[in-house]
Amino acid sequence: MTKYHPDTRFLTDYSAGSLPESQALCVAAHLHYCPACRTKVSELTQVGSEIFLSQEREEVSEDCFDRIMAKLSDLPATDTQSESSTSASLAATGQVIEPEPAKDKYVNDLPRAIQKLTGGSIEKMRWRKIGKSFRYSDINMGDDKRETSLLHIKAGGNVPKHQHGGDEITVILKGSFSDQEDHYHVGDYIVRTSGEMHTPVASQDEDCLCLATLDAPIVMNNWFYRLLAPLF
Amino acid sequence: MNEAAAKWSSLLEKVALHSDRNAFQQLFVHFSPLIKAFANKQAGASRGENFSEEIVQETMIKVWQKAASFNIEKANASTWIFTIARNTRIDLLRKNARHFQNKATSDQYEDAFDVDDIWVENENEDVFNQLAKQRNSEMLHESMKALPEEQSLILRKVYLEDKSHSEIAEELELPLGTVKSRVRLALNKLSLSVDR
Repeated sequence: MTKYHPDTRFLTDYSAGSLPESQALCVAAHLHYCPACRTKVSELTQVGSEIFLSQEREEVSEDCFDRIMAKLSDLPATDTQSESSTSASLAATGQVIEPEPAKDKYVNDLPRAIQKLTGGSIEKMRWRKIGKSFRYSDINMGDDKRETSLLHIKAGGNVPKHQHGGDEITVILKGSFSDQEDHYHVGDYIVRTSGEMHTPVASQDEDCLCLATLDAPIVMNNWFYRLLAPLF
Repeated sequence: MNEAAAKWSSLLEKVALHSDRNAFQQLFVHFSPLIKAFANKQAGASRGENFSEEIVQETMIKVWQKAASFNIEKANASTWIFTIARNTRIDLLRKNARHFQNKATSDQYEDAFDVDDIWVENENEDVFNQLAKQRNSEMLHESMKALPEEQSLILRKVYLEDKSHSEIAEELELPLGTVKSRVRLALNKLSLSVDR
């Protein structure tokens, strides 16, 4: 059971669309596992929509509608048509429909964005290993203020002891881990503030896969350097 | 569901089933001035006429294309269109930002995922929540009007101006904790189950 959830601030900024994308990815990953927070987000989005509707209207340009219709008629096919006619018209225009990459079982129940990221199997990703039981793979979010990675800890293995130089959000995607404070499960959204020290250990029965994003204004502050030379 | 909501939903259905231009135009007449206002309130605006017109066009194009995926049983048409406008705004801002970034890293990023993969449009909502939601929609509308100004101001900033809690705290020269608690108070007044 998911026990740790994003607080109202994260959920509100997520539903408004203002949360930085790397953090929004973490919220989205949590929502995948947590129906209670999904309900909250859908309520918050409704609040947003009420505010949206209560705005003073601003007139659009005269030819706006015509431009939209012109753009639509330029498109080869739309979702409003049936599947078969879409494929048919795509085939007619010579466009190739790329099949989705085959997904292995492990990847199948991960959040949508993470599935896409893995390209079908986590073994296809580029990992950097640190020690016997820990590896990480960086995710490029186009965000120079934060560093986002997938972390993989072998069953029973641990992440070398480290201290956080910035605030970090971790979401468990597979397995579970413990640190000095608690035991964490799939879907848990864990926020660690700068300066906290911990040594996460994966449970004995299963490998642990996490998504983590770290506020990292310092260049040297990536996993590799952090673990190699923790801040004192 | 109130009358207006039912009207927008049935228009969307006509677009989905019959590619009905007339129904689409009615949706356009109602929603595009709201989308334009929404786009113009973007923080650090003065992005100008082009930016907001582009958001209007892109949003309405997606409304047309995605109409078939609108679920009349589960979703509210206005909320659905709001989420499309929101995602379109995030997407265009992201593309603009990428312009100023190192091209190599940006290209790589583009392959990773779309805005819709992170801000998933209502696909996970279950029917029970939706029924409760539709019942509450009019109540919500009424209680929004009754919010104290200092609370509704912050909610408007959050939802229209694309400002995070921290940015609002900075702008209003309030501690982050005050912004958080005003949002929470407002949401409680709107009878949202907010406990954290």
